[in-house]
Amino acid sequence: MILVNNTMDINEDDEQLGETSEEDDSELSDGELQDAFAKGLLKPGLNFTTQEPKKIVNNVEGLKQCLADFRKNTLPWVERLDMVNLPADDIVAKSEGRLDNKASGDLNPDDDFQREMFFYRQAQAAVLEAMPRLLKLKIATKRPEDYFAEMAKSDQQMQKIRKKLIMKQTMMEKSEKAKKLREQRKYGKKVQVEVIQKRQKEKKAMMYAVKKYQKGMTDKLDFLEGDQKTAKGGAPAKGGSGKTAGGQTPDKKAMNKKGPNAKRKYKDQRFGFGGKKSGTKWNTKDSHNDVSGFRAKEAKRDLEEKEEGAPPKEGLNDRARMHARR
Amino acid sequence: MSALKRKRGGKGPGGKAKKVKLVENGNKPQTTEMEQNKEITVPPPVSMGKWRNKERVLVFSSRGINFRTRHLMQDLRTMMPHTKADTKMDRKDKLFVINEVCEIKNCNKCLFFEAKKKQDLYMWVANVPHGPSAKFLVQNVHTLAELKMTGNCLKGSRPLLSFDPQFDTEPHYALLKELFIQTFSTPQYHPRSQPFVDHVFTFTITDNRIWFRNYQIIEEDASMVEIGPRFVLNLIKIFQGSFGGPTLFENPHFESPNTHRRVIRMATASRLREKQMVKELQKLKRTENKEAVTRDVTDDVFATPAEERPVHIELEAPAAKVVKKNKHKAFKRQRKQNR
Repeated sequence: MILVNNTMDINEDDEQLGETSEEDDSELSDGELQDAFAKGLLKPGLNFTTQEPKKIVNNVEGLKQCLADFRKNTLPWVERLDMVNLPADDIVAKSEGRLDNKASGDLNPDDDFQREMFFYRQAQAAVLEAMPRLLKLKIATKRPEDYFAEMAKSDQQMQKIRKKLIMKQTMMEKSEKAKKLREQRKYGKKVQVEVIQKRQKEKKAMMYAVKKYQKGMTDKLDFLEGDQKTAKGGAPAKGGSGKTAGGQTPDKKAMNKKGPNAKRKYKDQRFGFGGKKSGTKWNTKDSHNDVSGFRAKEAKRDLEEKEEGAPPKEGLNDRARMHARR
Repeated sequence: MSALKRKRGGKGPGGKAKKVKLVENGNKPQTTEMEQNKEITVPPPVSMGKWRNKERVLVFSSRGINFRTRHLMQDLRTMMPHTKADTKMDRKDKLFVINEVCEIKNCNKCLFFEAKKKQDLYMWVANVPHGPSAKFLVQNVHTLAELKMTGNCLKGSRPLLSFDPQFDTEPHYALLKELFIQTFSTPQYHPRSQPFVDHVFTFTITDNRIWFRNYQIIEEDASMVEIGPRFVLNLIKIFQGSFGGPTLFENPHFESPNTHRRVIRMATASRLREKQMVKELQKLKRTENKEAVTRDVTDDVFATPAEERPVHIELEAPAAKVVKKNKHKAFKRQRKQNR
């Protein structure tokens, strides 16, 4: 059997009937225990003390009585402006097809956003319900434009708030821009790398074909033609469209075919492919027979100039003529 | 406290407008400049009326409050024009002294903030002469001055109060609702109030707590912005009398902040103790005498039941295999052997 130990407040007027007549168990003497046993309150067996479960006060009657006394029934609604409402419909959740749980009981208090949205919607519902009632009672909710009165937050405070909002916005925009720029650069780099690789591949293929021809493995020069064909085929087909898939215009292709420009060629000739050109023979039979430097227009011009000037001496006629012709 | 004494009873129809200015002049001189610069047409209130509902709320605190509580009190006084302030109460005094203070100030409601241990904030809401009172633990306080609260409203405008339907289900919630309505709603035609209704107080019950929010009504279609302040009330007890009397209701879900901290501390302590115990056990296991096991349990894992083959000892070396790949090696080895 269990001896109940009650540690009640002195304020409590309730009496514990029956079980124990003593209030503090710890000071029970042997004599008292024997008396209790004799009276029949204690039974044989092991007895131990436990705490009585704590009673939580919920005096419903008292609450109702108090409310009835306290309530001011003479006050019209306009004095109190109180509303009881469930939150308004959650448009977002409905559009997503989710069940909108209207009761505040199912609200998860740890989900901050959901909770705040719930409160917001409750306020919305209150406003929507109250507007017509206020209008009927001729109470305005919108203040006119020229009504200047003191606000709950000073202008300074509102300025601070505005500044902070603007700062947040600009920071977001900046970070967006930076991200976009980074993306663009990456993409540009990628494209560039691709183009360069393509060009290198083409060059490699060309060199391979040339080598093969040089080594005499193929006697056809169709690799050159192949290039020309694609260029020619490409150019009229695309006409004036402009860029090809390779990212070059037809003009550029032709220029590339001619190879390096004249300056480059001259420099290659003088300094390129090893060796001094200065000490070599230069008026040999081959160089003499080489007429590639002959320009007909210039030759004519020189001749005319010469004729305008003093006619050359007889002895020099032949040489002069030859020079002129040359 | 305003230096000007206001006459009881309203003046003429233009009187209300002038009154507003006068009060502003008296209390806040810096705003008058702005008002004088612009052409002000302060419209007379829609219906001139007598202030009948004489609710006055006394808002004050005990000693030992921190800045947040102080600001919260100031914000409440800003939001509710029918409040009065008082000096801090000494902690030595018993709570029923507050009733006398309220009587002196001629207030019939009281919002008393009590700070304990410089950490916990308790709030008493009481109807002073005879009525009920309630004690709450206040948590998650955010004040008007926080930059995330972007809304604004007229100072002293009347609020709309919105309650959760749960307030009607339980008797203790119904009593609290009545208490809140009478405390927080601004009386109509209060001399310091503005005639427009442009903000909403919401009280919601979640997680056995009451959540308070304050929203500004921007548009008629109920688009809103939060003004603040905001706080969470955790009910402790409801008493029948003001700051005393028999307990009408005790919240079973309430856990005092001390208990809460204790629980956390005990949890961490027990975790640590467990770790220590595990470590000690491991140490013991390592240091104790291990007995030599005579029979290996895993001996017969590879015992495959098959018939035994006779042991054959090879006396001659096996013939060298010719690996065709390394022809030369085979030749070389063979050459050497054959030599």
